[in-house]
Amino acid sequence: MTEHTPLVEINDLAIKFGAHTAVNNVTMDIGRGRIMGLVGESGSGKSTIANAIIGLLPHAAQISNGSLRFDGRDLLSFTAQDWGKIRGKDVAYVSQDPMSALNPVLRIGEQMLDIQHLSDQSNTEKLANALAALEQVRMPQAQARLSMYPHELSGGQKQRVCIAMVIMARPKLLITDEATTALDATLEVEIVRLLKELQTDIGCTMLFVTHHLTVVEELCDDVTVMYQGDIKECGTVADVFSNPSDTYTSNLLSCDPSRIEEKCRRLPIMFNLGLKELADPETDRNRINNTSRPLLSVRHLDVTFRKPRSLIDILTGKPEQRVEAVKAASLDIAPGETVALIGESGSGKSTLARAAFRLVPSEKGEIDFDGTDLLSITNAEMRPFRNEMSLMMQDPIGSLSPRMRVGTSVIEPLIVSGKASGLNLRDEAIRLLELVGLSTDFVDRYPHEMSGGQARRVGVARALALRPKMIIADEPTAGLDVSIQGEIFNLLAELRESMSLSILIITHNLHVVRHLADRMVIMYHGEIVETGTTENVIRAPKHAYTKVLLEANLHAKYGV
Amino acid sequence: MAQGANKHTRLTRVRNVIRKLCSTPLGLISVIVVTAFFVVGITGDWIAPYDPIKLDIRAKLQGPTAAHWLGTDQVGRDVFSRLLVGTKVASYLAVTAVSISLTIGIFLGMIAAFTSRWVDWSMLLIFDTVRSFPILMFALAVIALFGPSVNTIIGIVVISTFPSYARLVRTQVLSLRNAEYIEAQRAMGASLPRILMRHIFPNVIGPVMIVASMDIPLVIGVEAGLSFLGLGVRPPTPSWGTILNDGFSFIRNTPWIVVSAGLPLILTTVAFTTLGERLRDILDPKLRR
Amino acid sequence: MLAYAIQRIIVSILIIILAVTALFVMIQFVPGDPANVMLGPRATPELKEALRERLHLNDAFIVQVYYFFTGLLQGDLGVDLTSNRPVLGILIEQVPYTASLVASTLLVTLLGIPIGTYAAVHRDGFFDQASGVVSVSLIAVPPIVIGLYLILFFSVSLQLLPAIGAGEGFWEILLHLVLPTLAIGLTWIGYVSRLVRASMIEVLGQNHVKTARAFGIPNQRILRAYVLRVALPATITVLGVSIGFILSSAVIVEIVFSRPGIGKLMYDAVISRNYPVVMGTVLASTVFIVTATTISDLLNVMLDPRTKDEN
Repeated sequence: MTEHTPLVEINDLAIKFGAHTAVNNVTMDIGRGRIMGLVGESGSGKSTIANAIIGLLPHAAQISNGSLRFDGRDLLSFTAQDWGKIRGKDVAYVSQDPMSALNPVLRIGEQMLDIQHLSDQSNTEKLANALAALEQVRMPQAQARLSMYPHELSGGQKQRVCIAMVIMARPKLLITDEATTALDATLEVEIVRLLKELQTDIGCTMLFVTHHLTVVEELCDDVTVMYQGDIKECGTVADVFSNPSDTYTSNLLSCDPSRIEEKCRRLPIMFNLGLKELADPETDRNRINNTSRPLLSVRHLDVTFRKPRSLIDILTGKPEQRVEAVKAASLDIAPGETVALIGESGSGKSTLARAAFRLVPSEKGEIDFDGTDLLSITNAEMRPFRNEMSLMMQDPIGSLSPRMRVGTSVIEPLIVSGKASGLNLRDEAIRLLELVGLSTDFVDRYPHEMSGGQARRVGVARALALRPKMIIADEPTAGLDVSIQGEIFNLLAELRESMSLSILIITHNLHVVRHLADRMVIMYHGEIVETGTTENVIRAPKHAYTKVLLEANLHAKYGV
Repeated sequence: MAQGANKHTRLTRVRNVIRKLCSTPLGLISVIVVTAFFVVGITGDWIAPYDPIKLDIRAKLQGPTAAHWLGTDQVGRDVFSRLLVGTKVASYLAVTAVSISLTIGIFLGMIAAFTSRWVDWSMLLIFDTVRSFPILMFALAVIALFGPSVNTIIGIVVISTFPSYARLVRTQVLSLRNAEYIEAQRAMGASLPRILMRHIFPNVIGPVMIVASMDIPLVIGVEAGLSFLGLGVRPPTPSWGTILNDGFSFIRNTPWIVVSAGLPLILTTVAFTTLGERLRDILDPKLRR
Repeated sequence: MLAYAIQRIIVSILIIILAVTALFVMIQFVPGDPANVMLGPRATPELKEALRERLHLNDAFIVQVYYFFTGLLQGDLGVDLTSNRPVLGILIEQVPYTASLVASTLLVTLLGIPIGTYAAVHRDGFFDQASGVVSVSLIAVPPIVIGLYLILFFSVSLQLLPAIGAGEGFWEILLHLVLPTLAIGLTWIGYVSRLVRASMIEVLGQNHVKTARAFGIPNQRILRAYVLRVALPATITVLGVSIGFILSSAVIVEIVFSRPGIGKLMYDAVISRNYPVVMGTVLASTVFIVTATTISDLLNVMLDPRTKDEN
């Protein structure tokens, strides 16, 4: 085969799961030595194609049509033996969930030995290879890690191990399936950098499957956009991103909050680009009531978690392990203001918000809400305050009771707070659902019968049931496709204007928050390291961590 | 709407479950057998064609005939009638023992989940200790000390089985406690009793019911075993175990008593086990692949 | 690992102590005068007094407890009432018969593992469907019924296999083990094979198996180190728990097949109200079961290092 034929040729490929068509007569090529980004939202079929190329489609999948060639060979006619020869050698695969990709019962070193099953080097030499690979991915304390088990490593470290394994394979084709999606932005940046180095080093071809458009722009040479089993567009990154010829693609690009430079009051959404409205500083200032006392004022809050000791620890006199989740945190929110609490996993942001709510006990400090010190009242006295401050949780479907219909969940706060008497609850439920843009027939649905975005809206509706003064939204855009993020954003923006709500958003998604938040509070290792208005923090960050965070999330575009 | 709707939904939910149970042939059969078990347990005395304790020496040890569908035993009693009436003992024991055990287990399990670490730890210790007694041997020991009676058997079964319910409930409650929707309830200010009743209990009751339905054959088996050894119900009360014993003594004369006596045991075990497995498939949302 | 092992063993010892205490307390509740009950109404007052002295029945409660525990630690489980021999000795005589039954049952049950594995790997194939049907039907039949039906079929009708006693000489012993073992073991093979199949299927669909296959690691290695080692702990736990049930079933099976052993010993003792033997047997069985579950737990931790952190 000549060097110029594509490494992977897919022709008219169709893959079905029962009656559902995941891949609909797709034709695409991956050029040798190129990095191809395969982009699409959930249900687009991109992961299915990736799985097909390595021959690991799930049990229920059927390939009903088309051809799939790798380096000129017909993959669809491969026997198990054929696959055994090319997997881990010519084709390598890094999967989506680094948490579960490693064998939990084997040490890292052992697994890395297994990978080298085709070579006839001695075990010592193979271990040396493994060590070298770990060092190449900049794994701290590489030697020690070899004898550890996966559960003793953090998520980022596990992902590095996966990439190290791939490095050792030196494949012709590397497939990564959403390999960076679950990671924090700063980690994602590092992994992407690693992958780029790897590609230059080995000269391999890469198929990078993702829904993060910004990463594709940075890493990939070519891009293919998929939607519900069809290819909408393909071409070089430069061409497609600057001049998309397909409507879906251009919509996708326009809706991505990270690609919208100016601060917006309303973001464009997939099927209604016209919604976009720029933010007006005057309106924003009017919305916030800065003159009176802040609505929520947290002062010097400390939250410590104690790890319970096992029997042996007590007998051997080991001291209790303490984790200081939040250290001396202070934070103010004015009525009508939207404040973003930003940090990566483990920064303590969720804990701080929950402590402000007294869902988690705090050691020291003050929490003043509308004049009352929340830490000095009893649990019973706390009840009415729970009506004024409501919490919207991270997992949209998981935060709703699975056996309760949506209509019941939505008005439950009314029942709990005793304000339900005299009200027609069904009407209230309908009103609340309409407020968040859901039709009446959602009243009788169960949580698992809805999409993530719809469930998120139900969460908002429930949070609004008691007409609170403040909503705490925990990762409101997590797990949602980019196009849906815009819808939730617009919903929150509208509600805060019509209901004069204060919002505390906990997130690590800077893209959306940049448009929505008036002020940003940055947390790192339990401490608040910087606060300021959104514009000021982005334009001129003072703390080193803020700079790192902004660079990783927003890239160098914003002059950091 | 909330209260009324939930009564309505609870009924429809139960009806839905039953409908799904009956949707496969095996499921349907098991539902029928289980229902028959309880029905015969109550009405056995009346629907039996013959008096189960009436002797008729002339007709002894016959195989199945038109007059005696499952034959007769060594003193001429009709085996079929005896089996029907024996269902009374089996169902009474099963229902009583399992319900008491369930109640105690759920109660203790909830306490263990909400109490301090040390109390929880001690309770677990007690559960594990009880589970270490082999059930039949424990039963024999208790019977040796206190004599055989139906209530003794119930007591033995309750003590032997409540730990598994308690452990199950405890595990479920512990994992649910950290579920997001429970946190949402606490954020709303819902009181602990409300959270327990409306949110935790309905999610716990499913797995518990599954274990209960698989425990019933165990209870029936223990009773049959004890009666077989002559340490269960006192004659002349018919019990499947005593009939098995009769059959065993006369196994070289006729095989039919043994075969017939085994049938209800097999039927009930199959039915309840299938019921439990189908329930598990229906109630576990994760299995919807 | 060592810390976990020590902790687990301490807990086991605590359990045994609790169990013994429970048994002791149970004995206290026997209605009536123990000496009277044990010796019968025709015993002379001197005999009864002698018995009371010997069993420390006249002393304070604490003293009785003390004698009970110290006796236990010395291996004194009491004395058989009819023959006056130490209970421990009688037990040791009978243990080999029951032990061989339990051991052979466990061995037979282990067959469920390869059956379940094969069914999982060749899912929905002929073997899987066939073994599925057979397993489910086997699970459904209680050992007592299987035992009796087996006797009916193989001994009475076909006259192929013995149904009574334990036999002498190696081959006879083996032959006599067949039916009793099958009586208990068939149910458990069915159960274990279903369990193994279910957990194997679950593990086979997990991410680390997919990753391992993506790296082309040979199937044999994947099966052993990536699938079985992860799926096995659940099965081992079940096997550990099953020993208690196997022991219970052994009681019935020994009676049905007229085999000597702990089951028959206990049954006779119950009939004749020979309390020391009854208690001694229950105690010994409980200790055995606690040991078995402890071993299975430790085995699990060796296989899956995550479990020790969950405790």
